[in-house]
Amino acid sequence: MALQLNLLHEEFKEERQRKRDPLKLGLIGLGCFGVILFLYYAWNAYGTMKIRGQLNLAQAEWAKVEPQVTAAQKRATELHQIIDSTKVLDARIENRFYWAPFLSIISQSVAPNIQLTSLDGTITDNGTISVSLEGLAAAREPRAAAEELRQLLSEQLEKHYSDVKVTFKNLEDLDTLVDLAGVPTASARFVMNMIFNPKPPDSSKKSEPAKENQAKENMEKPAAK
Amino acid sequence: MKPKRLNKDQIQKIFLSTLGFIALIYCYFTFFLGPLNKSRVTMIQTIGDLQAKTASSKTELRKTANLEQQAKEATGRYEALQKTTQDGAPIAWFPPKMRAFFSDHRIDKASARLESSSDFKEPELSDWIKDIWAIEMPESDYSGLGRAIAELENTEPLLSLQRVVIHAVPEQPQFQQVSLYAETVLFKK
Repeated sequence: MALQLNLLHEEFKEERQRKRDPLKLGLIGLGCFGVILFLYYAWNAYGTMKIRGQLNLAQAEWAKVEPQVTAAQKRATELHQIIDSTKVLDARIENRFYWAPFLSIISQSVAPNIQLTSLDGTITDNGTISVSLEGLAAAREPRAAAEELRQLLSEQLEKHYSDVKVTFKNLEDLDTLVDLAGVPTASARFVMNMIFNPKPPDSSKKSEPAKENQAKENMEKPAAK
Repeated sequence: MKPKRLNKDQIQKIFLSTLGFIALIYCYFTFFLGPLNKSRVTMIQTIGDLQAKTASSKTELRKTANLEQQAKEATGRYEALQKTTQDGAPIAWFPPKMRAFFSDHRIDKASARLESSSDFKEPELSDWIKDIWAIEMPESDYSGLGRAIAELENTEPLLSLQRVVIHAVPEQPQFQQVSLYAETVLFKK
């Protein structure tokens, strides 16, 4: 067997050591890893740029819609206010008490032997109508004539209104005789109170506008007062 | 074959490389990938918010358009009610209007004065004002008055009579003295 002598073993060793220098290997590894990380970062950055593009689109769309929606919100608020205001105003209009039909009832109920001297009607805070009626009744039995008027008023008002109460506040005979169609007749002074709810007794019977028109027609006829 | 043991120099170099690796990872995640991901997440959230807002806004636009259609009648009615209030101070135009109105019904010498003026308690009527007027008619016949009141109530929807006082005139039995207390709802101009 031939003997082989390696006279360059030290150089070989150095060469080997240089090749497996940990710092060099580490730097190479680090570099490779850095490249991988950079590529990953670039990939992510590309994705982010795409998202930024989507964001810009969304922002542009929002910028287009925002003024419209702000105006729409303002208009919606305005419309809601108009609708609510109209409802409240309509309710006020519908819940008004119409005096003309009431005056018509009074006019139709007063007989020729009755003279009204005063009428004072008020809408109270709770919505009921309170009326004070003063006048003179002339007849052989003036109190009976006044009572007839009270009953007639009560009947007539009950046809159109609810919770009707017609009461005498005062009824007194007068000493003086009044001239009724040329005949001296006994008389009595009365003060009547009427309280009623303006709502109709049965709302399905008659509607308010029909009642108004009827009252207007009645008022056009000469009042027998 | 026996594994070769690392010398001190090599161990130092390996340690240095490990440190460099850790520093690289730290810097990469802290200064590069972290902020990038953070901004991406923020942008995605913003996009989501904007898209949701845009979608809800479009729904709202549609709703407003529908509401506009539905409110056409109310809007028209509201405008008509607004027009019942004339331009200028009510004290300037309401008394002459009443005088002319009753004069048309052969009731002369009618006068109107402002009793009180106040705002409504209802928030829906914040643009409206409530005026109370006293309308005096020294000479009026009952039937003419009734017709005039019927006409007034039918033509003035925002006027309601709160009190009616009628007194017979002793010297002229065919006439009555009349006081009307009218509440008007007027648009603030």
